[in-house]
Amino acid sequence: MRDNMEAKYDFERKFRDQVLQCSRCGFCQSVCPVFGATLRPAYNARGKMLLLKEVMDGTLDLNDELIETLFQCTTCGACAENCPSGVEVPEIIKQARKDMVHIGSCHPAFTGMNKVLKEHDNIYAEDEPEDFERERNGKAEYVFFIGCVGSYREDERTTATLDLLDYLEVDYTLIDEVCCSGVLEDVGHPINEKHVRTNIDLIMATGAKTVITGCPYCSRTFNNKKQYAELKEKGVKCIHLSQFLKDIDIGFKTDKKVTYHDPCDLGRHCGIYEEPRDTIRKIAPNFVEMRHHHEKALCCGAGGGVRGAYAANSIAMARRRLEEAEEAGAEVLLTECNSCVHNLANAKLRKQKLKIYTTTEFINLLREED
Amino acid sequence: MEVQGYNMPEDLYYEENHLWVREEGDLLVLGMDDFAQRMAGDIVYVQLPDEGKRLKKGKKFAKLESGKWLGKAFAPVNGELVEVNEDLEINPGLINEDCYGEGWMYKVKPDDKAELGDLIKGAEAIEKWIAADLEKYAQE
Repeated sequence: MRDNMEAKYDFERKFRDQVLQCSRCGFCQSVCPVFGATLRPAYNARGKMLLLKEVMDGTLDLNDELIETLFQCTTCGACAENCPSGVEVPEIIKQARKDMVHIGSCHPAFTGMNKVLKEHDNIYAEDEPEDFERERNGKAEYVFFIGCVGSYREDERTTATLDLLDYLEVDYTLIDEVCCSGVLEDVGHPINEKHVRTNIDLIMATGAKTVITGCPYCSRTFNNKKQYAELKEKGVKCIHLSQFLKDIDIGFKTDKKVTYHDPCDLGRHCGIYEEPRDTIRKIAPNFVEMRHHHEKALCCGAGGGVRGAYAANSIAMARRRLEEAEEAGAEVLLTECNSCVHNLANAKLRKQKLKIYTTTEFINLLREED
Repeated sequence: MEVQGYNMPEDLYYEENHLWVREEGDLLVLGMDDFAQRMAGDIVYVQLPDEGKRLKKGKKFAKLESGKWLGKAFAPVNGELVEVNEDLEINPGLINEDCYGEGWMYKVKPDDKAELGDLIKGAEAIEKWIAADLEKYAQE
Protein backbone atom coordinates (compact mmCIF):
# COMPACT_ATOMS: atom_id res chain seq x y z
CA MET A 1 0.00 0.00 0.00
CA ARG A 2 1.38 3.38 -0.97
CA ASP A 3 1.71 5.91 1.82
CA ASN A 4 0.74 9.54 1.63
CA MET A 5 4.19 10.67 0.49
CA GLU A 6 3.57 8.87 -2.79
CA ALA A 7 0.07 10.24 -3.43
CA LYS A 8 -0.38 10.16 -7.17
CA TYR A 9 -3.49 12.28 -7.37
CA ASP A 10 -4.76 15.45 -5.73
CA PHE A 11 -7.88 13.75 -4.42
CA GLU A 12 -5.61 11.54 -2.36
CA ARG A 13 -3.45 14.43 -1.20
CA LYS A 14 -6.47 16.39 -0.05
CA PHE A 15 -8.91 13.71 1.03
CA ARG A 16 -7.00 10.52 1.84
CA ASP A 17 -8.15 10.48 5.45
CA GLN A 18 -11.76 10.95 4.44
CA VAL A 19 -11.68 8.15 1.91
CA LEU A 20 -10.25 5.91 4.63
CA GLN A 21 -12.93 7.11 7.04
CA CYS A 22 -15.63 5.47 4.96
CA SER A 23 -16.75 2.53 7.03
CA ARG A 24 -18.69 0.89 4.18
CA CYS A 25 -21.87 1.16 6.21
CA GLY A 26 -23.99 1.96 3.17
CA PHE A 27 -26.18 4.59 4.85
CA CYS A 28 -25.42 6.71 1.79
CA GLN A 29 -26.93 4.09 -0.48
CA SER A 30 -30.35 4.56 1.04
CA VAL A 31 -30.44 8.25 0.12
CA CYS A 32 -28.47 8.36 -3.14
CA PRO A 33 -30.68 9.42 -6.06
CA VAL A 34 -28.42 7.82 -8.66
CA PHE A 35 -28.40 4.50 -6.80
CA GLY A 36 -32.14 4.80 -6.28
CA ALA A 37 -32.71 5.07 -10.02
CA THR A 38 -30.06 2.62 -11.25
CA LEU A 39 -29.43 0.19 -8.33
CA ARG A 40 -25.74 0.19 -9.34
CA PRO A 41 -23.52 0.20 -6.22
CA ALA A 42 -20.59 1.72 -8.11
CA TYR A 43 -22.67 4.85 -8.70
CA ASN A 44 -23.28 5.39 -5.00
CA ALA A 45 -20.89 7.05 -2.55
CA ARG A 46 -19.85 3.82 -0.85
CA GLY A 47 -18.99 2.29 -4.19
CA LYS A 48 -17.08 5.40 -5.22
CA MET A 49 -15.09 5.42 -1.96
CA LEU A 50 -14.25 1.73 -2.41
CA LEU A 51 -12.97 2.38 -5.91
CA LEU A 52 -11.00 5.46 -4.87
CA LYS A 53 -9.38 3.45 -2.09
CA GLU A 54 -8.30 0.92 -4.71
CA VAL A 55 -6.74 3.82 -6.64
CA MET A 56 -4.96 5.00 -3.50
CA ASP A 57 -3.72 1.47 -2.88
CA GLY A 58 -2.37 1.27 -6.40
CA THR A 59 -4.48 -1.76 -7.33
CA LEU A 60 -6.56 0.35 -9.71
CA ASP A 61 -5.67 3.45 -11.68
CA LEU A 62 -7.85 6.37 -12.74
CA ASN A 63 -8.87 5.62 -16.30
CA ASP A 64 -11.78 5.78 -18.73
CA GLU A 65 -13.47 2.81 -17.07
CA LEU A 66 -14.09 5.00 -14.04
CA ILE A 67 -15.85 7.73 -16.03
CA GLU A 68 -19.30 6.25 -15.43
CA THR A 69 -18.89 6.04 -11.70
CA LEU A 70 -17.07 9.31 -11.11
CA PHE A 71 -19.08 11.50 -13.47
CA GLN A 72 -22.51 10.08 -12.76
CA CYS A 73 -23.15 11.93 -9.53
CA THR A 74 -25.40 14.93 -9.06
CA THR A 75 -23.24 16.11 -6.12
CA CYS A 76 -26.51 16.47 -4.25
CA GLY A 77 -24.79 15.87 -0.90
CA ALA A 78 -27.42 13.51 0.50
CA CYS A 79 -24.67 10.97 1.12
CA ALA A 80 -22.59 13.41 3.17
CA GLU A 81 -25.71 14.54 5.03
CA ASN A 82 -26.40 10.94 5.97
CA CYS A 83 -22.84 9.74 6.61
CA PRO A 84 -22.10 8.77 10.22
CA SER A 85 -18.37 8.91 9.46
CA GLY A 86 -18.39 12.48 8.17
CA VAL A 87 -17.12 11.74 4.67
CA GLU A 88 -17.56 14.80 2.43
CA VAL A 89 -18.25 12.80 -0.69
CA PRO A 90 -19.17 15.61 -3.13
CA GLU A 91 -15.87 17.41 -2.49
CA ILE A 92 -13.91 14.21 -3.00
CA ILE A 93 -15.80 13.44 -6.22
CA LYS A 94 -15.19 16.93 -7.61
CA GLN A 95 -11.48 16.64 -6.90
CA ALA A 96 -11.29 13.14 -8.38
CA ARG A 97 -12.97 14.53 -11.51
CA LYS A 98 -10.25 17.18 -11.75
CA ASP A 99 -7.65 14.42 -11.49
CA MET A 100 -9.45 12.48 -14.23
CA VAL A 101 -9.51 15.49 -16.55
CA HIS A 102 -5.85 16.10 -15.79
CA ILE A 103 -4.97 12.66 -17.13
CA GLY A 104 -7.22 13.18 -20.14
CA SER A 105 -10.14 11.08 -18.96
CA CYS A 106 -13.49 12.82 -18.90
CA HIS A 107 -17.07 12.26 -19.92
CA PRO A 108 -17.41 13.67 -23.44
CA ALA A 109 -20.39 15.79 -22.41
CA PHE A 110 -18.19 17.75 -20.02
CA THR A 111 -15.24 18.00 -22.37
CA GLY A 112 -17.83 19.31 -24.77
CA MET A 113 -19.28 21.74 -22.22
CA ASN A 114 -15.86 23.17 -21.48
CA LYS A 115 -15.27 23.69 -25.19
CA VAL A 116 -18.72 25.21 -25.69
CA LEU A 117 -18.07 27.75 -22.94
CA LYS A 118 -14.79 28.72 -24.56
CA GLU A 119 -16.62 29.53 -27.79
CA HIS A 120 -20.03 30.66 -26.52
CA ASP A 121 -21.40 32.50 -23.55
CA ASN A 122 -23.80 29.78 -22.37
CA ILE A 123 -23.74 26.01 -21.87
CA TYR A 124 -26.08 25.34 -24.78
CA ALA A 125 -24.00 27.04 -27.49
CA GLU A 126 -27.02 29.17 -28.32
CA ASP A 127 -26.19 32.43 -30.01
CA GLU A 128 -29.45 34.29 -29.60
CA PRO A 129 -30.60 34.88 -26.04
CA GLU A 130 -34.31 35.25 -25.45
CA ASP A 131 -35.23 38.90 -25.59
CA PHE A 132 -37.54 39.10 -22.54
CA GLU A 133 -38.35 42.58 -23.85
CA ARG A 134 -36.69 44.21 -20.91
CA GLU A 135 -33.86 46.65 -20.49
CA ARG A 136 -30.42 45.17 -20.19
CA ASN A 137 -27.36 46.84 -18.65
CA GLY A 138 -29.29 49.77 -17.22
CA LYS A 139 -28.77 51.43 -13.84
CA ALA A 140 -30.83 49.92 -11.04
CA GLU A 141 -30.87 48.88 -7.40
CA TYR A 142 -30.86 45.20 -8.33
CA VAL A 143 -29.46 43.05 -11.09
CA PHE A 144 -31.63 40.06 -11.90
CA PHE A 145 -29.32 37.29 -13.10
CA ILE A 146 -31.28 34.61 -14.92
CA GLY A 147 -28.78 31.80 -15.57
CA CYS A 148 -28.42 29.55 -18.60
CA VAL A 149 -31.37 27.22 -17.94
CA GLY A 150 -33.75 30.09 -17.29
CA SER A 151 -32.56 31.95 -20.38
CA TYR A 152 -32.48 29.13 -22.89
CA ARG A 153 -34.62 26.26 -21.65
CA GLU A 154 -37.27 27.80 -19.42
CA ASP A 155 -37.76 31.22 -20.95
CA GLU A 156 -41.53 31.19 -20.45
CA ARG A 157 -41.11 30.63 -16.73
CA THR A 158 -38.47 33.35 -16.61
CA THR A 159 -40.88 35.72 -18.32
CA ALA A 160 -43.43 34.95 -15.61
CA THR A 161 -40.85 35.70 -12.92
CA LEU A 162 -39.97 38.99 -14.57
CA ASP A 163 -43.67 39.86 -14.91
CA LEU A 164 -44.01 39.34 -11.17
CA LEU A 165 -40.96 41.47 -10.39
CA ASP A 166 -42.44 44.21 -12.57
CA TYR A 167 -45.77 43.95 -10.74
CA LEU A 168 -43.90 44.25 -7.42
CA GLU A 169 -42.17 47.34 -8.85
CA VAL A 170 -38.73 45.99 -8.13
CA ASP A 171 -36.07 48.32 -9.47
CA TYR A 172 -34.01 45.80 -11.41
CA THR A 173 -32.13 45.50 -14.63
CA LEU A 174 -31.11 42.46 -16.63
CA ILE A 175 -27.57 42.32 -17.98
CA ASP A 176 -26.04 40.76 -21.07
CA GLU A 177 -25.14 37.91 -18.79
CA VAL A 178 -22.91 35.03 -19.66
CA CYS A 179 -22.73 31.66 -17.97
CA CYS A 180 -21.58 31.99 -14.37
CA SER A 181 -19.50 28.93 -15.35
CA GLY A 182 -19.54 27.54 -11.82
CA VAL A 183 -20.58 24.17 -13.20
CA LEU A 184 -17.20 23.67 -14.87
CA GLU A 185 -15.38 23.29 -11.57
CA ASP A 186 -17.82 20.59 -10.54
CA VAL A 187 -17.04 18.49 -13.59
CA GLY A 188 -13.28 18.63 -13.48
CA HIS A 189 -12.57 21.78 -15.45
CA PRO A 190 -11.47 25.25 -14.34
CA ILE A 191 -13.96 28.09 -14.11
CA ASN A 192 -14.06 30.25 -17.25
CA GLU A 193 -12.23 33.39 -16.16
CA LYS A 194 -13.33 35.36 -19.22
CA HIS A 195 -16.99 34.79 -18.38
CA VAL A 196 -16.36 35.65 -14.74
CA ARG A 197 -14.81 38.95 -15.80
CA THR A 198 -17.68 39.74 -18.16
CA ASN A 199 -20.29 39.13 -15.45
CA ILE A 200 -18.44 41.14 -12.81
CA ASP A 201 -17.92 44.08 -15.15
CA LEU A 202 -21.55 44.08 -16.28
CA ILE A 203 -22.83 43.86 -12.70
CA MET A 204 -20.57 46.67 -11.48
CA ALA A 205 -21.57 48.91 -14.37
CA THR A 206 -25.22 48.85 -13.27
CA GLY A 207 -24.44 50.42 -9.91
CA ALA A 208 -26.59 47.74 -8.26
CA LYS A 209 -25.80 46.75 -4.69
CA THR A 210 -27.57 43.41 -4.89
CA VAL A 211 -27.68 40.65 -7.47
CA ILE A 212 -30.78 38.47 -7.33
CA THR A 213 -30.39 35.15 -9.10
CA GLY A 214 -33.15 32.92 -10.37
CA CYS A 215 -30.79 29.97 -10.13
CA PRO A 216 -29.37 28.80 -6.79
CA TYR A 217 -26.35 27.38 -8.57
CA CYS A 218 -25.45 30.85 -9.86
CA SER A 219 -25.87 32.42 -6.42
CA ARG A 220 -23.65 29.71 -4.91
CA THR A 221 -21.07 30.40 -7.60
CA PHE A 222 -21.13 34.15 -7.02
CA ASN A 223 -20.89 33.71 -3.25
CA ASN A 224 -18.40 30.88 -2.96
CA LYS A 225 -16.01 30.95 -5.88
CA LYS A 226 -12.91 33.03 -5.21
CA GLN A 227 -12.99 34.30 -8.79
CA TYR A 228 -16.18 36.21 -7.92
CA ALA A 229 -14.84 37.56 -4.60
CA GLU A 230 -14.46 40.99 -6.18
CA LEU A 231 -18.24 41.43 -6.00
CA LYS A 232 -18.25 41.07 -2.24
CA GLU A 233 -15.14 43.21 -1.92
CA LYS A 234 -16.91 45.98 -3.80
CA GLY A 235 -19.98 45.75 -1.59
CA VAL A 236 -22.27 43.82 -3.95
CA LYS A 237 -24.44 41.20 -2.28
CA CYS A 238 -25.70 38.11 -4.12
CA ILE A 239 -28.92 36.45 -3.04
CA HIS A 240 -31.32 33.92 -4.43
CA LEU A 241 -34.81 34.97 -5.49
CA SER A 242 -36.44 33.07 -2.62
CA GLN A 243 -34.40 35.11 -0.12
CA PHE A 244 -35.53 38.32 -1.81
CA LEU A 245 -39.21 37.36 -1.77
CA LYS A 246 -39.30 36.22 1.82
CA ASP A 247 -40.40 39.48 3.37
CA ILE A 248 -42.65 40.65 0.57
CA ASP A 249 -46.38 40.49 1.14
CA ILE A 250 -47.55 38.92 -2.08
CA GLY A 251 -51.27 38.99 -1.36
CA PHE A 252 -52.50 36.25 -3.70
CA LYS A 253 -53.86 32.98 -2.43
CA THR A 254 -54.79 29.51 -3.54
CA ASP A 255 -56.57 26.70 -1.75
CA LYS A 256 -54.79 24.07 -3.81
CA LYS A 257 -52.64 21.52 -2.03
CA VAL A 258 -49.12 22.69 -2.67
CA THR A 259 -45.78 21.08 -1.96
CA TYR A 260 -42.24 22.38 -2.26
CA HIS A 261 -39.15 20.70 -3.67
CA ASP A 262 -35.89 21.78 -2.00
CA PRO A 263 -33.27 22.26 -4.73
CA CYS A 264 -30.00 20.71 -3.53
CA ASP A 265 -28.12 23.89 -4.42
CA LEU A 266 -30.42 25.98 -2.24
CA GLY A 267 -31.17 23.52 0.55
CA ARG A 268 -28.39 21.13 1.48
CA HIS A 269 -25.65 23.28 -0.05
CA CYS A 270 -26.77 26.68 1.31
CA GLY A 271 -29.06 25.85 4.20
CA ILE A 272 -31.92 27.89 2.69
CA TYR A 273 -35.05 25.93 3.59
CA GLU A 274 -37.44 28.29 5.36
CA GLU A 275 -37.43 31.38 3.14
CA PRO A 276 -39.06 29.61 0.19
CA ARG A 277 -41.59 28.01 2.56
CA ASP A 278 -42.40 31.33 4.20
CA THR A 279 -43.46 32.70 0.83
CA ILE A 280 -45.37 29.58 -0.19
CA ARG A 281 -47.25 29.32 3.10
CA LYS A 282 -48.46 32.90 2.67
CA ILE A 283 -50.02 32.08 -0.69
CA ALA A 284 -50.94 28.44 -0.09
CA PRO A 285 -52.20 27.68 3.41
CA ASN A 286 -52.84 24.09 2.28
CA PHE A 287 -49.13 23.29 2.19
CA VAL A 288 -47.81 19.74 2.53
CA GLU A 289 -44.31 18.34 2.73
CA MET A 290 -43.13 15.41 0.65
CA ARG A 291 -41.76 12.33 2.40
CA HIS A 292 -38.20 13.65 2.04
CA HIS A 293 -37.81 17.35 2.66
CA HIS A 294 -35.40 19.96 4.03
CA GLU A 295 -31.96 18.41 4.38
CA LYS A 296 -33.38 15.00 3.50
CA ALA A 297 -34.87 16.19 0.21
CA LEU A 298 -34.53 13.81 -2.72
CA CYS A 299 -32.46 15.27 -5.53
CA CYS A 300 -34.30 15.89 -8.82
CA GLY A 301 -31.40 14.34 -10.74
CA ALA A 302 -30.38 17.35 -12.83
CA GLY A 303 -27.34 18.61 -10.95
CA GLY A 304 -23.60 18.02 -11.19
CA GLY A 305 -23.88 17.90 -14.98
CA VAL A 306 -25.89 14.67 -14.87
CA ARG A 307 -28.80 16.01 -16.96
CA GLY A 308 -26.38 16.75 -19.77
CA ALA A 309 -24.35 13.54 -19.57
CA TYR A 310 -26.84 10.93 -18.34
CA ALA A 311 -30.18 12.37 -19.34
CA ALA A 312 -32.19 9.14 -19.16
CA ASN A 313 -31.08 8.43 -15.58
CA SER A 314 -31.50 12.08 -14.71
CA ILE A 315 -35.13 11.96 -15.77
CA ALA A 316 -35.60 8.64 -13.97
CA MET A 317 -34.44 10.35 -10.77
CA ALA A 318 -36.89 13.17 -11.34
CA ARG A 319 -39.69 10.61 -11.75
CA ARG A 320 -38.90 9.22 -8.31
CA ARG A 321 -39.23 12.71 -6.86
CA LEU A 322 -42.57 13.22 -8.58
CA GLU A 323 -43.84 9.98 -7.04
CA GLU A 324 -43.21 11.58 -3.65
CA ALA A 325 -45.23 14.63 -4.66
CA GLU A 326 -48.10 12.38 -5.71
CA GLU A 327 -47.81 10.38 -2.52
CA ALA A 328 -48.19 13.62 -0.54
CA GLY A 329 -51.39 14.32 -2.46
CA ALA A 330 -50.04 17.56 -3.91
CA GLU A 331 -51.86 19.23 -6.78
CA VAL A 332 -49.03 21.69 -7.32
CA LEU A 333 -45.29 21.25 -6.91
CA LEU A 334 -43.22 24.39 -6.54
CA THR A 335 -39.51 24.95 -6.57
CA GLU A 336 -37.28 27.91 -7.32
CA CYS A 337 -34.54 26.43 -9.43
CA ASN A 338 -34.81 26.33 -13.22
CA SER A 339 -32.70 23.16 -13.48
CA CYS A 340 -35.00 21.34 -11.08
CA VAL A 341 -38.21 22.60 -12.66
CA HIS A 342 -36.91 21.72 -16.13
CA ASN A 343 -36.02 18.16 -15.19
CA LEU A 344 -39.16 17.58 -13.15
CA ALA A 345 -41.40 18.98 -15.89
CA ASN A 346 -39.70 16.82 -18.52
CA ALA A 347 -40.12 13.77 -16.29
CA LYS A 348 -43.79 14.28 -15.52
CA LEU A 349 -45.95 11.64 -17.15
CA ARG A 350 -49.12 12.64 -18.98
CA LYS A 351 -51.26 10.64 -16.60
CA GLN A 352 -49.90 12.63 -13.63
CA LYS A 353 -52.24 15.52 -12.95
CA LEU A 354 -49.77 17.35 -10.75
CA LYS A 355 -48.75 20.80 -12.00
CA ILE A 356 -45.17 21.95 -11.72
CA TYR A 357 -44.10 25.58 -11.49
CA THR A 358 -41.40 27.78 -10.13
CA THR A 359 -42.75 29.63 -7.09
CA THR A 360 -42.64 32.99 -8.82
CA GLU A 361 -44.28 31.58 -11.93
CA PHE A 362 -47.12 30.22 -9.80
CA ILE A 363 -47.57 33.49 -7.93
CA ASN A 364 -47.68 35.31 -11.26
CA LEU A 365 -50.32 32.86 -12.46
CA LEU A 366 -52.45 33.60 -9.38
CA ARG A 367 -51.98 37.29 -10.06
CA GLU A 368 -53.17 36.88 -13.66
CA GLU A 369 -56.19 34.87 -12.55
CA ASP A 370 -57.12 37.48 -9.97
CA MET B 1 -34.11 7.25 -50.84
CA GLU B 2 -30.68 8.27 -49.61
CA VAL B 3 -29.69 11.89 -49.82
CA GLN B 4 -26.06 12.50 -48.94
CA GLY B 5 -26.17 9.62 -46.50
CA TYR B 6 -29.53 10.52 -44.92
CA ASN B 7 -32.56 8.27 -45.28
CA MET B 8 -35.34 10.49 -46.66
CA PRO B 9 -38.23 8.36 -48.02
CA GLU B 10 -39.56 9.85 -51.24
CA ASP B 11 -43.17 9.00 -50.57
CA LEU B 12 -43.41 11.29 -47.54
CA TYR B 13 -44.13 14.99 -47.32
CA TYR B 14 -41.67 17.11 -45.32
CA GLU B 15 -42.09 20.29 -43.33
CA GLU B 16 -38.99 22.48 -43.74
CA ASN B 17 -38.02 22.19 -40.06
CA HIS B 18 -37.68 18.44 -40.53
CA LEU B 19 -40.98 16.89 -39.61
CA TRP B 20 -42.10 14.18 -42.03
CA VAL B 21 -45.80 13.81 -42.83
CA ARG B 22 -47.61 10.68 -43.98
CA GLU B 23 -51.27 10.30 -44.87
CA GLU B 24 -53.15 7.66 -42.89
CA GLY B 25 -56.81 7.70 -43.92
CA ASP B 26 -58.22 11.03 -42.80
CA LEU B 27 -55.32 11.73 -40.53
CA LEU B 28 -51.73 12.79 -40.95
CA VAL B 29 -48.92 11.08 -39.04
CA LEU B 30 -45.95 13.27 -38.13
CA GLY B 31 -42.43 12.44 -37.02
CA MET B 32 -38.88 13.67 -37.07
CA ASP B 33 -36.84 12.85 -40.16
CA ASP B 34 -33.49 11.08 -40.31
CA PHE B 35 -31.53 14.26 -41.03
CA ALA B 36 -32.85 15.95 -37.90
CA GLN B 37 -32.59 12.96 -35.59
CA ARG B 38 -28.95 12.47 -36.52
CA MET B 39 -28.16 16.16 -36.08
CA ALA B 40 -29.92 16.20 -32.72
CA GLY B 41 -28.31 13.14 -31.18
CA ASP B 42 -30.04 11.05 -28.54
CA ILE B 43 -33.51 12.47 -27.92
CA VAL B 44 -34.16 12.65 -24.18
CA TYR B 45 -37.52 14.42 -24.03
CA VAL B 46 -40.46 14.90 -26.34
CA GLN B 47 -43.32 17.17 -25.39
CA LEU B 48 -46.64 15.39 -25.93
CA PRO B 49 -49.40 18.02 -25.80
CA ASP B 50 -52.98 17.12 -24.91
CA GLU B 51 -55.24 15.71 -27.58
CA GLY B 52 -57.53 18.36 -28.97
CA LYS B 53 -54.80 21.00 -29.19
CA ARG B 54 -55.25 23.25 -32.19
CA LEU B 55 -52.33 23.39 -34.57
CA LYS B 56 -51.68 26.54 -36.54
CA LYS B 57 -49.69 26.06 -39.72
CA GLY B 58 -46.12 27.31 -39.32
CA LYS B 59 -46.41 27.76 -35.57
CA LYS B 60 -44.50 25.81 -32.93
CA PHE B 61 -46.73 23.31 -31.14
CA ALA B 62 -44.28 21.16 -29.20
CA LYS B 63 -40.68 20.99 -28.17
CA LEU B 64 -38.15 18.23 -27.84
CA GLU B 65 -34.67 17.93 -26.47
CA SER B 66 -31.52 15.99 -26.99
CA GLY B 67 -28.54 16.29 -24.67
CA LYS B 68 -27.30 19.38 -26.47
CA TRP B 69 -30.23 20.74 -28.41
CA LEU B 70 -33.69 22.16 -27.91
CA GLY B 71 -35.85 21.60 -30.95
CA LYS B 72 -39.28 22.80 -31.92
CA ALA B 73 -42.00 20.99 -33.80
CA PHE B 74 -43.75 23.32 -36.23
CA ALA B 75 -47.23 22.52 -37.48
CA PRO B 76 -47.09 21.59 -41.18
CA VAL B 77 -50.82 22.23 -41.62
CA ASN B 78 -53.75 23.76 -39.76
CA GLY B 79 -55.59 21.11 -37.77
CA GLU B 80 -56.18 19.36 -34.49
CA LEU B 81 -53.86 17.07 -32.58
CA VAL B 82 -55.76 13.81 -32.12
CA GLU B 83 -53.17 11.35 -30.93
CA VAL B 84 -49.62 11.25 -29.61
CA ASN B 85 -47.18 8.37 -29.42
CA GLU B 86 -47.22 7.69 -25.70
CA ASP B 87 -44.33 5.22 -26.04
CA LEU B 88 -42.10 8.27 -26.45
CA GLU B 89 -42.81 9.29 -22.88
CA ILE B 90 -40.71 6.47 -21.48
CA ASN B 91 -38.63 5.80 -24.57
CA PRO B 92 -37.92 9.01 -26.49
CA GLY B 93 -34.98 7.18 -28.09
CA LEU B 94 -37.45 5.47 -30.43
CA ILE B 95 -37.11 8.58 -32.55
CA ASN B 96 -33.42 7.81 -33.04
CA GLU B 97 -33.95 4.07 -33.47
CA ASP B 98 -36.85 4.13 -35.93
CA CYS B 99 -37.84 7.67 -36.81
CA TYR B 100 -40.24 6.68 -39.60
CA GLY B 101 -41.82 3.71 -37.81
CA GLU B 102 -42.04 3.18 -34.04
CA GLY B 103 -40.70 6.70 -33.45
CA TRP B 104 -43.74 8.44 -34.96
CA MET B 105 -44.71 11.41 -32.84
CA TYR B 106 -48.10 12.94 -33.53
CA LYS B 107 -51.34 12.32 -35.43
CA VAL B 108 -53.23 15.31 -36.73
CA LYS B 109 -56.68 15.78 -38.23
CA PRO B 110 -56.03 18.40 -40.89
CA ASP B 111 -58.54 21.17 -41.62
CA ASP B 112 -57.73 20.91 -45.32
CA LYS B 113 -55.57 18.20 -46.85
CA ALA B 114 -54.84 20.48 -49.77
CA GLU B 115 -52.32 22.24 -47.50
CA LEU B 116 -50.07 19.22 -48.04
CA GLY B 117 -49.35 20.79 -51.40
CA ASP B 118 -47.29 23.47 -49.63
CA LEU B 119 -44.90 20.90 -48.19
CA ILE B 120 -41.71 19.48 -49.68
CA LYS B 121 -42.41 16.41 -51.81
CA GLY B 122 -40.57 14.29 -54.35
CA ALA B 123 -36.95 13.33 -54.89
CA GLU B 124 -35.84 16.54 -56.57
CA ALA B 125 -37.31 18.84 -53.96
CA ILE B 126 -35.95 16.71 -51.12
CA GLU B 127 -32.44 16.67 -52.54
CA LYS B 128 -32.40 20.43 -53.03
CA TRP B 129 -33.69 21.07 -49.53
CA ILE B 130 -31.22 18.75 -47.80
CA ALA B 131 -28.30 20.16 -49.80
CA ALA B 132 -29.30 23.68 -48.75
CA ASP B 133 -29.61 22.68 -45.10
CA LEU B 134 -26.24 20.92 -45.11
CA GLU B 135 -24.66 24.09 -46.43
CA LYS B 136 -26.43 26.17 -43.82
CA TYR B 137 -25.22 23.96 -40.98
CA ALA B 138 -21.71 23.82 -42.38
CA GLN B 139 -21.54 27.60 -42.19
CA GLU B 140 -22.81 27.83 -38.61
